[in-house]
Amino acid sequence: MLDLLKEAISQTAEYAEIRYHKREQTSIEAKNGRLARVERRTLAGAGVRCLVDGCWGFVSTTDVTHDGLRKAISEAAEAARIGAELRREKVVLAPAKLAQGEFVYYDLAGEPSIAEKIQVVMAAEKRVRERSSLIVASSVRYLQYEDEKYIVTSDGAAAHILDNKPSFHVTATAGRGNQLEMAIKSWGVTGSWKDLLGKVRLDKAADDAADLAVRKLDAGYVRGGQYTVILDPMLVGVLAHEAIGHTVEADFVQAGSVAQGKIGQKVASDLVTMVDDGTIAGAAGMVLADDEGVLGQRTVIIDSGILRDYLHSRESAQTFGAEPRGNARAFTYSDEPLIRMTNTCVLPGKDDLDQMIAGIDDGLLLREMGVGGGQADSTAEFMFGVAEGYVIKHGKLGELVKSITISGQAFEVLQSVDAVSSDFICGLGAGHCGKWQPAKVDAGGPYLRCRVTVGGRHE
Amino acid sequence: MHLDLCDDLVRRALAMGAADAEVFYRKARKLEAMFEKNDLQVPKGDTYEGVGIRVLLGGSGGVRLGFAATNLLTSKSLENALSAAVAIAHASPEDPNYSLAEPAPAEPVPGIYDQSAEKLTLRDALDQGRLMLEAARDVDPRVTLDSAMYTIEVSEKAIANSRGVRLSEKRSLFVCQAMAFARDGETVSSFDMEVGASSQMSGMDPAALGRKLGEKVVATLGATTIPSFRGTVIIAPYAGAELIVSPITFSSDAENVQTGRSKWKGMLGTQVLSPLLSIVDDPSIPGGAGSTAFDREGVPAHRLDLIEDGVLNHYLYNCYTARKDGVVSNGRAAGTDQNTPSIGPTNFAIAPGERSLDEMTAACSKGIIVNRFSGNLDEVSGDFSGVVKGGYYIEAGKIVCPVREAMIAGNIYDLLRQVTGVSRESVEIADMRLPYVQFNGCSVTGKQ
Repeated sequence: MLDLLKEAISQTAEYAEIRYHKREQTSIEAKNGRLARVERRTLAGAGVRCLVDGCWGFVSTTDVTHDGLRKAISEAAEAARIGAELRREKVVLAPAKLAQGEFVYYDLAGEPSIAEKIQVVMAAEKRVRERSSLIVASSVRYLQYEDEKYIVTSDGAAAHILDNKPSFHVTATAGRGNQLEMAIKSWGVTGSWKDLLGKVRLDKAADDAADLAVRKLDAGYVRGGQYTVILDPMLVGVLAHEAIGHTVEADFVQAGSVAQGKIGQKVASDLVTMVDDGTIAGAAGMVLADDEGVLGQRTVIIDSGILRDYLHSRESAQTFGAEPRGNARAFTYSDEPLIRMTNTCVLPGKDDLDQMIAGIDDGLLLREMGVGGGQADSTAEFMFGVAEGYVIKHGKLGELVKSITISGQAFEVLQSVDAVSSDFICGLGAGHCGKWQPAKVDAGGPYLRCRVTVGGRHE
Repeated sequence: MHLDLCDDLVRRALAMGAADAEVFYRKARKLEAMFEKNDLQVPKGDTYEGVGIRVLLGGSGGVRLGFAATNLLTSKSLENALSAAVAIAHASPEDPNYSLAEPAPAEPVPGIYDQSAEKLTLRDALDQGRLMLEAARDVDPRVTLDSAMYTIEVSEKAIANSRGVRLSEKRSLFVCQAMAFARDGETVSSFDMEVGASSQMSGMDPAALGRKLGEKVVATLGATTIPSFRGTVIIAPYAGAELIVSPITFSSDAENVQTGRSKWKGMLGTQVLSPLLSIVDDPSIPGGAGSTAFDREGVPAHRLDLIEDGVLNHYLYNCYTARKDGVVSNGRAAGTDQNTPSIGPTNFAIAPGERSLDEMTAACSKGIIVNRFSGNLDEVSGDFSGVVKGGYYIEAGKIVCPVREAMIAGNIYDLLRQVTGVSRESVEIADMRLPYVQFNGCSVTGKQ
């Protein structure tokens, strides 16, 4: 295949990139005692991008024969040519560390059959359901992307990449009278089935989801307002990804995000160092080589409170005079590469969680992302749902509170950080980041103590 | 021709031991101009063709279902997909409720196929997209079109099953959507969006869409924080698409009803919403963006008066959930060749009310207009909480100022029973048509 792509690309005088991407996707979902969905999909084809007169043209096709690829290249070049008449800012690509050779992280030799996986998913769903008589609905979903890619660019990338990203998503709904409460546990890895179950035990996730849903039936609400809170590693991951990460994606920066012009400035407390790192072994956002053929690397975004770098494609890196480090990603063959995060994390500090709790007179300990996830926009104003909140009074951890949404301006929140624990967990969950097209990402960090706005209820 | 491929695969599945089989085929040609940061990002072309195969294996206590899909239509890949579907069926437990659709006449919907779309090229998509971009920028130089696209798609779907269903449909769809914000020095407005869709190119007005979006974001520059209060909230159509449409479709989805996640279980024929709310789901609207003659399983789809004066008349069914309830599917199986059939609405509309938006505003002593909602909604419990985007603060019947950093929270099912107004005006957002909906007693958390 690599030779076929190289031959096809050799016939164009312009910059071209051909990416053959075959995805075998398996989804298994059990719901309320029933095997609700098992799907096996093959999605394969070539995405061809050409750069002519400073404008991109992109064409995707399922015809990956020699003739099919040649046709796609000529159509992409034509698209670029007509686009160039309209495009004002001309695209130039920055030099990059290009991937060459074989890139394989995982070992699927011991992967169980689909029949065995179906049994495991059904057993876990049964476990959720039988955990308590108050459980009225339950589901366990397994999703696996088994990807094979060949990427060739006319300036020298030539890589064969094998990647496997499985995830679990467990939900439990508890009910009493007309009241329903839902809880979610989800996680993902880059690796095998065994790696996935090694990260979190499925039976524990089933128990935890059921227990939380039941406990939420008796939980109260919190009054909205400004609070000192402790965010757990998953919520720190959401903050790093949603609230900061998106504002430092170079395309958002160029569009006028709040991080524009802030390189070298103090944007967070001295205690905060934040990275985007495609090389974290086994994390769900691991990228060995991106979809422009650039090697996955680590970018220090915030170094001890100072904004150091944005996240780049080859195009934006040229504009900013920066180095691309593997953040141009495409979800399927028919998507063009966009600037995306990989694994976005705050690095651990020196504080102890118990001491951090003891230092709060009136606040909340917040754990995990709630139903619906999180969002942010170019102002770094963010909001996200929290799964579990615990009242902290006079340094002591108290009762569970529910339906919490936190919001704030992310850089203001990071300025307010006054303690960072020594823990580190990269575990955003099983979800996808959405930006025109989905992407598998991960995020995490330590426990952080900071100030946020909590949306609650006014009686 | 595509039906022949479906027929052939159905035959092959039966030869492999399936008791019944269904093949759904989809082909699409898509042309798209993508814009970012006020500039063309990339013109894109895509040609797609794929099949989804469902096989049913007989058993004593029901049938076993298997599904596989592929977009590689080579004989080897199709053979693999057939084998994978059969293997999954063998590994799955029996279920008495799986069945395929029985043949029934499907009335073609007029106006969903614009023949001229066949001849359009990427240049046409670029030209239309440029009209939107220039119109938004002409409103005010502070407007940034963060991302936008103009898409032309011509698609064909075909379905055949072993019960005798043989249907196909061709349609075109034009979609124009954009997200924008305005920036004035250090002040940045909220992100806001506009979406337009039509089956006919003549039904699109990209310049009007760009102008409207530009005006919306400029108007929210200089937003201020407001105090917390509990009062009137007017949900504008874009916010309603998230806050109102999604819980209603969730709770009327028969699968959610049967699995206990819907609050509307056992509530057919009873009052579930305020008497001010009536909801129609109609796939037969000529030229509608969500119009179709038949659903993902080949069941003819007709208009449903889903909710009349707040009374729930129907659940949304596919064949599986219908059989489970002992009824006939009402043609709401959703999805593509890449998925097993799920459930979804077609053209979803909330009937307009009798008061104008101005009258609703004038009658409000203290409240907020929510143009867009960015937050979480738990469709099971109905609890929601999130940030108001592009919102306006109302006091003594007058709009006082655009607001920032305000959050709203409450329970949507409770609020939808206490609706105090539905506007005469309604807005079409792709396959939805929504008015402004007002309720009282919603918590607003400000930052003052």
